[in-house]
Amino acid sequence: MLRVVINRLLISIPVLIGVLFIGFLLLIVAPSDPAAVIAGEGATPELLAVLRQELGLDRPVLERFALYLQRVLQGDLGKSVINKAPVIEELSYAMGPTFELMLCALLVAVPVGIALGSLAAVMRGRWIDRVIMMSSVAGLSMPGFMIALLAIQYFGLHWGLLPFQGRGGPLWTWSGILHMVLPATTLGSILIGPIARMTRTAMLEVLTLDYIRTARAKGLSELKVVLKHALRTALPPVVTLIGLQAGYLLGGAVVTETIFAWPGVGRLAISAIASSDFPMAQGTILVLAVSFLIINLMVDLIYCWLDPRIRL
Amino acid sequence: MTQQSVAVAAPRSARTTPRALQRLLKDKIALVMLILLVLIILGAIFAPLLTSFDPYRTSLRNRNVPPGALHLFGTDEQGRDLLARVLFGIRLTLASGFISLFLGGIVGTAIGVCAAYYKRADNILMRAMDTVLSFPAILLGLAIAGISGPGTWSVILALAISTVPPIARVARSSALSVVNQDYLVAARALGLGDPTILRRYVLRNCAPSILVYVTLRFGQVILLGASLSFLGLGAPPPAAELGTMVSQGRALLFTAPHVALVPCFAIFIIVLILNVLGDAARDIFDPKIQQ
Repeated sequence: MLRVVINRLLISIPVLIGVLFIGFLLLIVAPSDPAAVIAGEGATPELLAVLRQELGLDRPVLERFALYLQRVLQGDLGKSVINKAPVIEELSYAMGPTFELMLCALLVAVPVGIALGSLAAVMRGRWIDRVIMMSSVAGLSMPGFMIALLAIQYFGLHWGLLPFQGRGGPLWTWSGILHMVLPATTLGSILIGPIARMTRTAMLEVLTLDYIRTARAKGLSELKVVLKHALRTALPPVVTLIGLQAGYLLGGAVVTETIFAWPGVGRLAISAIASSDFPMAQGTILVLAVSFLIINLMVDLIYCWLDPRIRL
Repeated sequence: MTQQSVAVAAPRSARTTPRALQRLLKDKIALVMLILLVLIILGAIFAPLLTSFDPYRTSLRNRNVPPGALHLFGTDEQGRDLLARVLFGIRLTLASGFISLFLGGIVGTAIGVCAAYYKRADNILMRAMDTVLSFPAILLGLAIAGISGPGTWSVILALAISTVPPIARVARSSALSVVNQDYLVAARALGLGDPTILRRYVLRNCAPSILVYVTLRFGQVILLGASLSFLGLGAPPPAAELGTMVSQGRALLFTAPHVALVPCFAIFIIVLILNVLGDAARDIFDPKIQQ
């Protein structure tokens, strides 16, 4: 297990360097001069020159990249051009809500997707199977913002059942839960289709295996056969799929946060890019990319735990 | 072995095409989808002939008109005809999807085929692809839009880059099955140069699987592109771009929901058609299913 973790961490290093380089690129192509931003209006050329030297802006690009790495590793992501607050501070407020949203979306998508996929596999060829599979193709073809807009249109505006603007507070409060329902369901619904399809395929393969026939011959109920015996064997590919879909989840989170005015990293990233706040854009992209790496690492570990053969 | 017999042994793709067409004609749903797609593409190409309205001309007297006889899809907050805007939007959406797949496809195929053919480059090229692959497409879009500013080309570039690694993988795996074949050894013995061998034998054999993957990917690319322009990273307003139109119409959801929902449905239908066609193409060309 430890070897797997170390291997995965080693593979992540070049990706991490690539991510950091893109973040660095965002800063060096920025049309605004960081020294001028820090010095504020009316700064003398002498002060600017001193600041540039202090910030290392007069050095060669590679040296600047090394300096940048040093700063980032110390947790210094610069200051926002717009409100002058440290980027890391703004990010620390936004990371919680994003994480919470993605987790709740998974809590919606994984059980529903697996249940629908298993049902379709057990009912193979019947109308339920066809309806589930057709809806999953439709779900795969629907842009995330369309589901969100339809949900707002009906559940929010038309029937007035649920709030759809912002976060209502921590998840243990009633208002927090109510505000979470629409964003989490919308984000989760992106994943339901792929999870259901993958579960169905994996389950169909498992259901033909000998040990399932043995389980049935023992007189176990079909429900027990599926839930206790087949599902566990069918799960590893589904977990891999969830890992592969993590990118979509992250992208979907950016869209969902923008639509529901959710105070997360995605919304921060979009507003930073729209207002040319380069240090903030760099920080948000770094955080999103690193969380993508962490999600994938976690998926690999869960995969290991589910499928003992990989540990050998 | 003469050069002629080498050529006869190699291309498989030319023979599978008529059979594939026959299979496609048998698959009724796929056929209907193909006809619909052709109609939509024709509609997008001949958009100026299909509607007398200018997608950019505003008319403050006709703001937010619901769908009806004169304006089939209604009008938006500035009185522009939505049918005209959707038709022009489909044009832009399909064109940017196609361009990005084309660019990503060429680069990806080149990388994948080279990785399979030149063993020494394999490891470096494919690890580089893994690195790009582990960067979600929407983040690439954010980064590119952050660096070069929002615009249609930023979206196309992001989509193209995110298409390169999966296509490189597909191209590499199908090229690997060809590079050790006897007819390639024969071609080399005949003194053919690497470029000729790659073009004439390796590429031709990879073409079907790459084309199937590209068809499968088209819907995803359009969805991603729409999301990026919805987020404001694509063509800025007043461009008739489907994602941008949805984003513009979002504020009117309560008073005039059709302004946001009409372009939404347009995207949905196009992607649905492409996804069903992609699935059909996979079923038709996948040798496992053919057996």
